[in-house]
Amino acid sequence: MAETMKEGDELLKVENIHMSFGKVAALSGVSFKVRKGEIHSIIGPNGAGKTVMMNCINGLYRPQRGNIIYKGQKINHLKPYQRAKLGISRTFQKIELFSGMTVLDNIRLGRHIHMKTGILSGALYVGKTSREEIEHRAYIEEEIIDLLEIESIRDKIVGMLPYGLQKRVELGRALALDPELLILDEPLAGLNLEEVEDMARFILDVNEEERWRVTCILVEHDMGVVMDLSDSVTVLNFGEMIADGTPEEIQSNPEVIKAYLGAEDLYVSRA
Amino acid sequence: MAKGFLPCGTYHQDYLHDHAWWQTKFVKGKMILLGIILFFVIPHLDPYWVGVANMIGYTILGALGVDLLIGFTGQITLGHAAFIAVGAYTSTLLVLEFPWPHAFIHMGIAYPISIIVGAIVAGLWSVLWGLPSAKVKGFYLILTTMAAQFVTVNFIITQYVAKIGGRGQAFSLPPGTIKFGPWVMDNPIRVYYLMVILVLLCIAIVANLLRSKPGRAWMAIRDNDIAAETLGINVVLYKLLSFFVAGFIAGIAGAFWISNLAAISPEHFPWSWSLWLVGVILIGGTGSIHGTIFGSMFMVLVMEFLQMGILPLADIYPQLLDKFFFIKESTFGLAICVFLIFEPNGLSYRWWQLKNYFNLWPFSY
Repeated sequence: MAETMKEGDELLKVENIHMSFGKVAALSGVSFKVRKGEIHSIIGPNGAGKTVMMNCINGLYRPQRGNIIYKGQKINHLKPYQRAKLGISRTFQKIELFSGMTVLDNIRLGRHIHMKTGILSGALYVGKTSREEIEHRAYIEEEIIDLLEIESIRDKIVGMLPYGLQKRVELGRALALDPELLILDEPLAGLNLEEVEDMARFILDVNEEERWRVTCILVEHDMGVVMDLSDSVTVLNFGEMIADGTPEEIQSNPEVIKAYLGAEDLYVSRA
Repeated sequence: MAKGFLPCGTYHQDYLHDHAWWQTKFVKGKMILLGIILFFVIPHLDPYWVGVANMIGYTILGALGVDLLIGFTGQITLGHAAFIAVGAYTSTLLVLEFPWPHAFIHMGIAYPISIIVGAIVAGLWSVLWGLPSAKVKGFYLILTTMAAQFVTVNFIITQYVAKIGGRGQAFSLPPGTIKFGPWVMDNPIRVYYLMVILVLLCIAIVANLLRSKPGRAWMAIRDNDIAAETLGINVVLYKLLSFFVAGFIAGIAGAFWISNLAAISPEHFPWSWSLWLVGVILIGGTGSIHGTIFGSMFMVLVMEFLQMGILPLADIYPQLLDKFFFIKESTFGLAICVFLIFEPNGLSYRWWQLKNYFNLWPFSY
């Protein structure tokens, strides 16, 4: 396992993934690489297998064939919680927050893997646990709540918040893991123009700021954002990979235009 | 539940203050007052009412574990009386049968040790019956926890444990056997002090767990187990930890309750007691420690008042006394129906609203 990876090294390699549900082949032979420090987008029409691919990387699904190699280590057999400890974090297409808890508690749960409190020390609370709680509270306030500008809602119940803010809280929770690889499954779906711009800025922030430098896998339908943000793009169609390359290459790839866009106008952006 | 609103003009300067249990001087004052009432006022009431308070305390201890499982971890259980029984029987057997050194009995530490051992045994037994929760949830988990009740109480305890020592069905606890330090547990007031200390201790343990890593993991599993797993929470491990803590508190409840009984038999831990505890947290409000306390007080007191109301009528309708058990059961059912329809968040939600109203009075924001 590589200890410290340089910019541009292979962080994640997906090799020849096959995944089918009954007779429906959701993924057949998908392979791509994600380099450290880049934003790698995965696009494709509805039902192309993008979310299935994310679930395979994250461990919610086990592919029937193929390898997922993270930092040179095969992680096929690991459970989702073990992959989270390796630094893989994600957000969901449909919001999967803990709706009965406050914003702060949701983000605190993101710090779960960095906390050491057990049953006994938790029951006592005084001393070590109390110090740990305050340490992590400071981290959350200074690093995440400040970055995402959600100071005013920190004590609100998440289920009561508007959709755009919930998306933002979910990003905050994923960031609280201090991940190396962040999977963003349609982070912009259902947001209005202003919220899209905010979210795109946050994604660029965590990718480019020296403090974070998080490698992102972005699944998104908004072509304008995808082409502007990504360093490389993979295109899926009916579970098969039809193209892989830089945004410029993808935009001029005739097969992509045919399969995905079906028209000469590539930009279907709200921007 | 969301954090209560602070009175206008109260600001926190640091995180320590914001994480504190009692955040304002007013709350500290209330807690001191509560302490005075608990330790100095209630013990001087009529012994009958002290006995009622002991029943409330026993219900709180039992319902706390149920609330931990149902209200905080989302694992529905209908067999909690089994773990209370395990605690009670472990403690009784240790006190009666274990060859304690004479000094231990003299100093009265046999019973305190038996409480701890009873709690641990009940916790481990609870983990065993929590294992199915790794695979099943909802209705299916209700059935497996009900199995815990029938296998433990109706089979293992009735058929085997109750026959240890050739006593037949009930273990009698002769006066003077239950000794906590220098105090022999022979009147309701001593039992009351033990009860208050155990209840406060258990509430403190649960409240502390809920504001640190394990408690948050439990609530995450309750709200969304898939997201919990992607955040690095070992869902199965934390479910079993929750079963352990719930069983541990049930064991304390059972081991405590023998100090109030002259004899212990399997009939003390029927399935209806498991159901009763679930009713208590439904009425008090699931997922709230306040709810456990209010629910227990409500149920025990309503039953007491019901009994007091029926006694004068007994001369005219002698049937009422005979059938009191059924009246009690139907009142219980009616109370749950009424609460589910008119106050689904339970008594604790009313309490929360009331507190906020006074905190924000006269100008709410």
